[in-house]
Amino acid sequence: MPEPLAVLDSTSKSFGAVHAVVELSLSVAGGEIYGLLGPNGAGKTTALRMLAGLLAPTAGRALLAGRDAKTTEAKRHLGYLSGSTGLFGRLTGREVLDYFGQIHGMARARIRERLRGLAQALALEAVLDRRCEVLSTGERQRVSIARAVLHDPAVLILDEPTSGLDVLASRFLRDFVRGERQRGKAVVFSTHYLAEAELLCDRVGFLHHGRLLSQGTPAEVRGGAGTLEEAFLALADRDKGGA
Amino acid sequence: MNPRHVLLTFGKELREALRDRRTLAIMILLPLVVYPLLAMLAAQVATSREKQREERPSTVAVNGSGPACDALVGQIRKNPALFALAAHGSAGDVESGRLDALVEPDKDDAARLRVVYDASRDESRVAEERLRELLASALPEGCAPVFAMERHSLAPKARLGGYVLSKALPLFVVLMVLLGAFYPAIDVTAGERERGTLETVLCSPIRRFDLMLGKVLAVAALAALTGVVNLGSMAITLLQVLRLAAQNTLLDVPWGNALQSSLVIFPAALLFAATFVALGATARTFKEAQTLLLPVYFLTIAPAMAGAVGEYRLAGLAAWVPGMNVTLLARDLLVGRATWAGGLATIASTVLLAAAALAAAARIYDSERLVGPPPRRQRERAGLPPATSAGDALVLFALAFLLLYFVFLPIEQHSLVVGLLAAQWLGLFGLVLLFARLSGQRFADTIGLGRPAPAAYLGALLIGCSAWAAVALFCEWLLPVPKHLVEELRKTIVPPDGSRGFAVTLLLMALSPAVCEETLFRGPILRGLRTRAGPARAAVITGILFGLFHLDVYRILPATLLGTLLGFVALESGSVLPSMLAHLCNNAILIALAKTGLDQDMESLSHRTLTLILFASVAGTTAGFVLLRKARRNLKM
Repeated sequence: MPEPLAVLDSTSKSFGAVHAVVELSLSVAGGEIYGLLGPNGAGKTTALRMLAGLLAPTAGRALLAGRDAKTTEAKRHLGYLSGSTGLFGRLTGREVLDYFGQIHGMARARIRERLRGLAQALALEAVLDRRCEVLSTGERQRVSIARAVLHDPAVLILDEPTSGLDVLASRFLRDFVRGERQRGKAVVFSTHYLAEAELLCDRVGFLHHGRLLSQGTPAEVRGGAGTLEEAFLALADRDKGGA
Repeated sequence: MNPRHVLLTFGKELREALRDRRTLAIMILLPLVVYPLLAMLAAQVATSREKQREERPSTVAVNGSGPACDALVGQIRKNPALFALAAHGSAGDVESGRLDALVEPDKDDAARLRVVYDASRDESRVAEERLRELLASALPEGCAPVFAMERHSLAPKARLGGYVLSKALPLFVVLMVLLGAFYPAIDVTAGERERGTLETVLCSPIRRFDLMLGKVLAVAALAALTGVVNLGSMAITLLQVLRLAAQNTLLDVPWGNALQSSLVIFPAALLFAATFVALGATARTFKEAQTLLLPVYFLTIAPAMAGAVGEYRLAGLAAWVPGMNVTLLARDLLVGRATWAGGLATIASTVLLAAAALAAAARIYDSERLVGPPPRRQRERAGLPPATSAGDALVLFALAFLLLYFVFLPIEQHSLVVGLLAAQWLGLFGLVLLFARLSGQRFADTIGLGRPAPAAYLGALLIGCSAWAAVALFCEWLLPVPKHLVEELRKTIVPPDGSRGFAVTLLLMALSPAVCEETLFRGPILRGLRTRAGPARAAVITGILFGLFHLDVYRILPATLLGTLLGFVALESGSVLPSMLAHLCNNAILIALAKTGLDQDMESLSHRTLTLILFASVAGTTAGFVLLRKARRNLKM
């Protein structure tokens, strides 16, 4: 069994009296796509932020490539992408990628070479020399993808990356994620579009009020229910009853 | 530290900021277009007004007769372009503006003429000047003037130029550096957060200190650039205006001095950049950052203005006041009177303060505040009832302060009893009641009306009965209150005419403040601040606000110390009730001392006795906190 690259080990996170994530455990190996599912406010973003080293767990551990996710060393193995794209609007795509490449310790020549490949794969040739603020949502997301994978990270964390994207751009992103799986990356993916997760993920976990209600392959989690959506509603009802 | 990362971030931030229209407008548009434009318009208006004044004849009257008066009237008539001669007039006519000036012979010596004019009116001043010139030329033929006046300045033109520049330039340059740092600091912090780009940077392998240093350096560079551009532009503009206004006053620009004075821009830019970036980093939105930075902006302007207007020397405390020290150093450099001691003190203090601000900024960037959801949203999402936030706490303090200053203090001046009661029960207690109602909280939850263990009351009682002595002795040592103020306070507590009894005084000055002040300060203010700060910091900040609320230089320190102790009492006990008890005991003892005159006796106590009192006070307070800790119940937020 391949060694897990992204691990949350009995991880909890509280903000004052608010328990955003409660004893969440998951591990994702290379060549696997894990979907963290749940409604808004379920704790998906908090969980991914702990995994990305942005937040420190109140209890438990968050590991990236075997290292504490908060460390600079762990972040060298991380590619992070969110729905807000996170691009500097007044810089061109090329300038953004150059900045992040250098932060990751890449040589200028290596960045140029990598950019050539990514520009072709992500159809960025006409986009890279324009300021990010004038790009369309889909174009911005493609530049963001390039930023996230520029340094060839082992782990990709995608926080609702398809929110706000049209059908074509969403399809493009899903194809890209599948490609990364083929290349042996560990992908942790959060979404509240359950159908999308069913199409894409090898394993999924249902998060509700910060607790993991169920996890496994989509078929396992679906169980007797017809769809993931129905399975989730049944689990949420049961959780509510239990509470 | 990774210098490469610092440099990279510096370059990236600089490039981004230079592409921001707002930054460019402040940096380039203002100094290069607006100042010269305004200066030109001002010069044109001034020239046109001067011309109008020259063309208008002065209306004058000459009262009396005699050779001197007749000669003057003859001269006036010969200059119709300069004078319009009125038949007669009075001093009242000059004051009312009907006449510009009046000439009358001296009662004792008809040969001496007196010019009556209004110095506060330009036209009258011009008339007086014209008459003086005319009188000089009206001397009988062959008579030489007794004396002649002539103006002579010892200052060379360059120093005169430096002197004129030093009156305005240092302040404007400091203001421009401040302004130059203002928007870029917000843009690289709150702006980045608002645009959603911060997370991606923080997920990269860059240390947060490096990131912060890069940002601070970029903001400092932009602020310095703004300062340099402004200094150059304004120096030329100001001298041009002076040349236009007074053709005869040709001033040289002391370029060497101006260049030296521009050096203060760099440490000032670094300080302002680090301070603004640290503050901006705590804000979630551009708007919030503006709200946070504006008070600091104005707070810095005040000492800078004092430095520019007041005749301060750059020495001692003045060299350590941010804003003021750089203004004074720039002034001294411009007039060529700077000293090494003053310069080094200014640079050292500014760099030290900048380093402290940078450390604070880096600490903020290392905290989760930047990426965690706001506390209010967390509570809403979790379906928890609303609670007081740190922002609410500060707004409540501001409201209470404004009410006290503008409403209740004037009432207190008319009637002390009515004013005090209104200030406490309406301005404090009523304010908290209203806040609880408007924010949808239970009043008991808003002020933290928990039920502490009996030992907590005992601890509070000990603290209330003992802490006052240590506080009083410490304050007397650090900042002794002048005798007449102590006497005034004593008279307020115990009216000499016996118009207020001891029981009423206790009710008014012990029980009422204990309930009302604790309700506000150790209630929502302390609880609100506690959501953003640790217990010690929240207690100290609440104490400082409590001290400021007493609106008296000599009461700020004791009230701050007492307020901080009461904050710890409330936090340790988990309830506002013990802090009310401690506050009540503290005030009651002070009133009793004033009433019995024991406080006057204390002033004559020996050093040894005072040491014993101090020891007993500290021991009692410590024992009180030990009891409180034993009965500890965590304050539920």
